[in-house]
Amino acid sequence: MSDAPTDGDLVRLTLKGDERAFGRLVERYQRPAYAVAYSVTGRHEDAEDAAQESFLVALDRLEACRNPDRFGGWLMTIVRNRSKNLIRRESLRETEQVPPGARSRAATPDRVAEDAQLREVLEAALSQLPEVQRQIVLLHDLEGWKHREIAERLELPSGTVRSHLHFARKALRKALEALPEMPDMLERVQ
Amino acid sequence: MMAWLKRDVAATDELGQDMVLAEALQALDPASDDPAYWLRFRSWVMSEAASELTRRRMVFKLTIEDVLVSWSKAVLPIAVAAAVVAISFIRSSRVETTPVAAAVGVEELLVVEVAPETQPVFLSPDAAAGVVAFASDIF
Repeated sequence: MSDAPTDGDLVRLTLKGDERAFGRLVERYQRPAYAVAYSVTGRHEDAEDAAQESFLVALDRLEACRNPDRFGGWLMTIVRNRSKNLIRRESLRETEQVPPGARSRAATPDRVAEDAQLREVLEAALSQLPEVQRQIVLLHDLEGWKHREIAERLELPSGTVRSHLHFARKALRKALEALPEMPDMLERVQ
Repeated sequence: MMAWLKRDVAATDELGQDMVLAEALQALDPASDDPAYWLRFRSWVMSEAASELTRRRMVFKLTIEDVLVSWSKAVLPIAVAAAVVAISFIRSSRVETTPVAAAVGVEELLVVEVAPETQPVFLSPDAAAGVVAFASDIF
């Protein structure tokens, strides 16, 4: 048995203003929150903003989390909504055209430049998937969440999660297969 | 390419995670080229959340004090009222008991004043003789 406090324990402490408890919630969910935000926005900066803001929104509205033991699912709903709102706002005020899959991360060494190329390929492939399939494949194959966890936190039946994962992987592999450089790139990252 | 695909099909771990895809997707992890990324992410969230957490701590402290104050506010008047009722009840019960005690005293006094042979005179075996005396007294 694990001694790790449950989400419910951490939420109840956070309601009283416990900084450490909230910090643990952030540590626990920052990567999945980013993955879900990324699956919606498709851009690093937007995903970062949406994920970070979602934690602050969640803290502000923590009383509205009716089932603290299901904090993860509740947070993911906030992340999805926040990400969609952010895209809506961005599309309204966007003045310059951002090429699909473009990322403006900090200048990096040569190796990172290669990874950036791989990222672009992946982003293009992911952008072809429905949003729910992007979320599931990122949570499962990037964050290592189990089917059960994804089903619980995205409030989807477990069979639906498996089915989405199957189709997402199939589509992703097909897209990657069509890219001539992919096998070489994957050799490099392994 | 075919070799990569064949390896891909078999490359799933015990959780069913697609290892090749997982490796490729790692490139999307911001920490892949910035190891301190998640630490900074957390720090930013925590610094932005500091004021709200402080507010919650203050509200929670206030809540405890409020509960105690409201409890005392609610309980003290009831306790005072209960004490007043109890005192008045005790006083009224004392008033009620005094006449009873007095009545007993009066009865005792009456009994003390009555001559002891009055009853035996009428009920005694010599009552028949007494009838003559009684009739003579009356008529």
